[in-house]
Amino acid sequence: MITELEQIQKDALAAIGAVDSEAKLEEQRVGFLGKKGRLTTAGAGMRDVPNDQKKDVGQKLNEVRTAITEALEAKGSEMVAARDARQFASIDVTLPGRPLPHGGLHPLSQVLDEAINILRRMGFALAEGPEIETEWHCFDALNTPKDHPARNESDTFYFENGKLLRTHTSSVQIRTMAKEVPPVRIIAPGSAYRRDEIDATHLPVFTQLEGLYVDARVTLADLKGTLEYFFRQMFGAKTDVRFRPHFFPFTEPSFEVDLKLQVKGKSDKWIEIAGCGIVDPNVFLQVNGERKDTAYDPEKVSGFAFGMGIERLAMIKYEISDIRHLIDNDTRFLSQFA
Amino acid sequence: MKFSLKWLSDHVDFSDYNLSQLDELLTFAGIEVEGVTNLPDKVIVAEILAAEKIPHTDKLAVCQVNDGSGKKRQIVCGAQNYKVGDKVPLALPGCQLDAGNGTVFTIKESKLKGFDSLGMMCGASEIGLEKESSGLLILPPDLKPGTPIAEVYPAILELEITPNRPDCLSHLGTARELAALVKKELKGVRDHTQSQTPTRAAKKAEIEIKSENCPYYTGRWIRGVKVQDSPAWLKEKLVAVGLRPINNIVDITNYVLMEMGQPLHAFDLGKLKGGIVVRQAAAGENFTALDGHEYLLTTDDTVIADSKTALAIGGVMGGADSGVTASTTDILLESAYFIPAAVRRTSRTSGIRSDSSYRFERGVDPHQVRGASNLAVKLILDLAGGKADPELIECGKIPAPPSPVKMTGDFCRKVIGTDIPDAKIEEILTSLGLTKSKKGWEIPSFRRDLERPIDLVEEVARVFGLDNVPSNHTARFVETSKADLAYDFTRKIQTTLCAVGFFETRNLKLISRQQLEDDRATNHRGMEVIRLKHPLNDDQDFLRPALLPGLLASAGRNVRFGTPNLRLFEVGKVFTMTKKGEEVENEHLALLMTGARVPGSWANNRPENIDIHDLRAGLAAILGRKSDELVFVPVEDSRLLGAASIELGRGKKAVKLGLAGYLPPARARQLDILTPIAVAEINLKKLATVLGESSTFAELPKFPGSSRDVAMVVSRDMPNETIATFFADYQEPLLVEARLFDVFRDETGQKLDADKKSVAYSLLYRCPTRTLESAEVEQAHEKVLKALQKSLPVEFR
Repeated sequence: MITELEQIQKDALAAIGAVDSEAKLEEQRVGFLGKKGRLTTAGAGMRDVPNDQKKDVGQKLNEVRTAITEALEAKGSEMVAARDARQFASIDVTLPGRPLPHGGLHPLSQVLDEAINILRRMGFALAEGPEIETEWHCFDALNTPKDHPARNESDTFYFENGKLLRTHTSSVQIRTMAKEVPPVRIIAPGSAYRRDEIDATHLPVFTQLEGLYVDARVTLADLKGTLEYFFRQMFGAKTDVRFRPHFFPFTEPSFEVDLKLQVKGKSDKWIEIAGCGIVDPNVFLQVNGERKDTAYDPEKVSGFAFGMGIERLAMIKYEISDIRHLIDNDTRFLSQFA
Repeated sequence: MKFSLKWLSDHVDFSDYNLSQLDELLTFAGIEVEGVTNLPDKVIVAEILAAEKIPHTDKLAVCQVNDGSGKKRQIVCGAQNYKVGDKVPLALPGCQLDAGNGTVFTIKESKLKGFDSLGMMCGASEIGLEKESSGLLILPPDLKPGTPIAEVYPAILELEITPNRPDCLSHLGTARELAALVKKELKGVRDHTQSQTPTRAAKKAEIEIKSENCPYYTGRWIRGVKVQDSPAWLKEKLVAVGLRPINNIVDITNYVLMEMGQPLHAFDLGKLKGGIVVRQAAAGENFTALDGHEYLLTTDDTVIADSKTALAIGGVMGGADSGVTASTTDILLESAYFIPAAVRRTSRTSGIRSDSSYRFERGVDPHQVRGASNLAVKLILDLAGGKADPELIECGKIPAPPSPVKMTGDFCRKVIGTDIPDAKIEEILTSLGLTKSKKGWEIPSFRRDLERPIDLVEEVARVFGLDNVPSNHTARFVETSKADLAYDFTRKIQTTLCAVGFFETRNLKLISRQQLEDDRATNHRGMEVIRLKHPLNDDQDFLRPALLPGLLASAGRNVRFGTPNLRLFEVGKVFTMTKKGEEVENEHLALLMTGARVPGSWANNRPENIDIHDLRAGLAAILGRKSDELVFVPVEDSRLLGAASIELGRGKKAVKLGLAGYLPPARARQLDILTPIAVAEINLKKLATVLGESSTFAELPKFPGSSRDVAMVVSRDMPNETIATFFADYQEPLLVEARLFDVFRDETGQKLDADKKSVAYSLLYRCPTRTLESAEVEQAHEKVLKALQKSLPVEFR
């Protein structure tokens, strides 16, 4: 009996080893361990085994069953693994990806977003105001003389009722101060309008970012630190920034800010990027008049303001040659910034 | 304004400054250098010693010239306007000249008609002195051969003088500013500043001022002048700064204008009838100016008149008939001060812009009126001869000098934010011509822009330089504003749309009348569009009342450029006004989809075109957790096909966000788009209101649910929303979800009548507190089906 069991084990292991498909492996399992399998049949002979041998034979029978089962499982796992491998081996991983439609933010929004994020980290909150403005908010309150050329109908879009399309976001300075008391620390992105025909460098509608900080003791040193830090965050820590004295009706002293543009293969060039200055006391007086109080007493508060063109920022940052790309919305252009 | 470096150097010695140092000096003085014209190297003054015509040529001649080297140089030249002995510019071999079209050509030794030519004699345009010229530039005879031409005509600087600094609108003025900044002596001003000429008050018959716009007027009578060409030095100076020489008298007035910034005018005495009257123009008075145009004047305009007619518009322009001509022998020289606002008004209404009005409207120093007259008279007597009356005749009063300004060092330091010592502040202000007195700082009469303490701080800050101010990096804590929240909300929506395949566009906010037709997905009940009063052109005369017009234009461009599959959106302001004329600015979001749903590829080489349900998916992406509440309610709207009102929630709680639908193909074809275009436009503020509430956590279900399917045949016209509304409104506590999973139609009518459709829903039943028994589910389901059949015309399959 033991010899017979040993023979079954030998045959079974040989047969399992020779199997080349999962179906044939199943055949072998049935052939040896099934209801009518060889080992099952041999096991039925246990009842004829003399009692004194029953223990040994029984033990042998278990050993053989375990050996065959293990061999079946091992072979089975091996074959499943081979099947899995075969299945994935047939995949051409070099095929292009299954395409999804892709989109992206307009480059102008991206630059604006970056600028806003930097300034928010620096503690500025956003503010807004209407684009259809009164002449008072856009010019008078900003200390612009009555006959200043910027007020000409040839430069500014007016409406029949005397209102106008704001020529700068500086009107948001006035809107904000009219309803909030110092300290005020805001930035205001938005559209501004000037009567310029569209060409490579001009749009009648463009985007500005305005900044205003009014507090008990705001100085030129604060203004310089703020804008230097901002532009270095925006264009790199080594960016050279310079402040040129200039003139704006609503700041005194006033400066224009230049960045040193460094392009490989070209000589360095200073380019104008922003205007800024200390808020003119006349602006505070106008605001007080509107508020009917003295919240902005020029003896007690001071402030700085700045403004910059976002189209220009984007054009510098991305080396865009023609401003019209920014309003054409050609997806071949837009996808370059996605 | 154009400045000649040589002219500036009459007043300040800049020999130790090169051009880039000078550029920096001007820049940090607050004077922007907009351009520099610098004459080329290797062009020298040459004297023509001999010229011999080359036989059998039209114009060519062989010239021998003195180039200053001691040896004769041979040049072949084709010009006709020179004679032996003339001095002309000579470009030496190796010299690079601007060819005028942005390219450069290099002068070489060459042979012409067999004669060696060792250089080229040049005209004014060839060396970049003028835009156009013919023939050679004949130079002043006193120049030494061999002198570089760049020394004869030093650089011309185009400077932007800011409106607050009219005192810099002259060579003397800018030189005075620069001399102060570099601490150099201001030279060559002896004839300008003080007048040695005695003055006498005018008799009424001589000069009479009847206008408040002219506080001070002077005249000088000069007789027996000889009007002729100006000498070379004077012509050179005027040409250098862009003025055309006319005759010696006119040139002298222009010279004084550019030198001192004081506009002068010379009248031909022979053409005057009686004395000078400064008066307001009569309404409707005609005036022919020396530009040849006739102007209709108003009572706001100030004229200089004789007893009969207007001779000049005060401070703006002289007349065609009273000016100096070749036959003039006696002149009256006007030097006066006009009120800036008055000149500005006249210049604006008449449209005349002159060098004179430009300066008067910004403000001329009234204290130099006499000095300027004096300088001009001296030059006239020198260059035109004649005899001047011994006295300057004056009328009116020189306006008072600017009031002193008090500024403390502390105030100055407080604004600048750094510790500038008092001594430094005083040094700066003193250098700029201010003097300290008991009343504060006395302001020189040419600095009428300095009125307040802050104006003096500006001067200190400007000269001190921001380079010398430390950078302060402290900030204050601020609260999040409403605008912050709105910005973040919008950005989140934009980012989501980008992630599901949309490109953000930014279109011009000005559109055409025709584009108004493309405002198809908004509801402007009772609102009107806003038109500009003076639009630039017909393409941009309305403020956009909607985003869709711009979006459609962008889509059309993209398709024409070869990008047919588009998912575009825009977020931005739109503008309308009420019938009463109150403007309303709203924030909108518009979406547009057309072309294939996904890009064609190996995986799907004929992808289907998008439909409105793709657009709805885009909206659902924005709505996030609220997307279940998104409802499209069919509406009649002639502007769109398949129009639907986009709503959040149903029934009375529904919030109408906007409209969606298909662009009518007729319009799409005009844009060269042949695929369906699905569009939507919604009001972002309303969306923000419904999405604004923060969400709170709802406990996850602890017990499994059980679903039952129901398939029903309904009329093909029945919108799904009708069925969805039934399930949403039906009160069965165990029914937690109804999900549409199949819509079947059979156009052939074989499996299903063509006017019917089969709709299949999966209904999910669940109890929050226990696992439901199968029988309970069946019971609830039965109830739902019965109610469904009762309220809607459906047949179950």
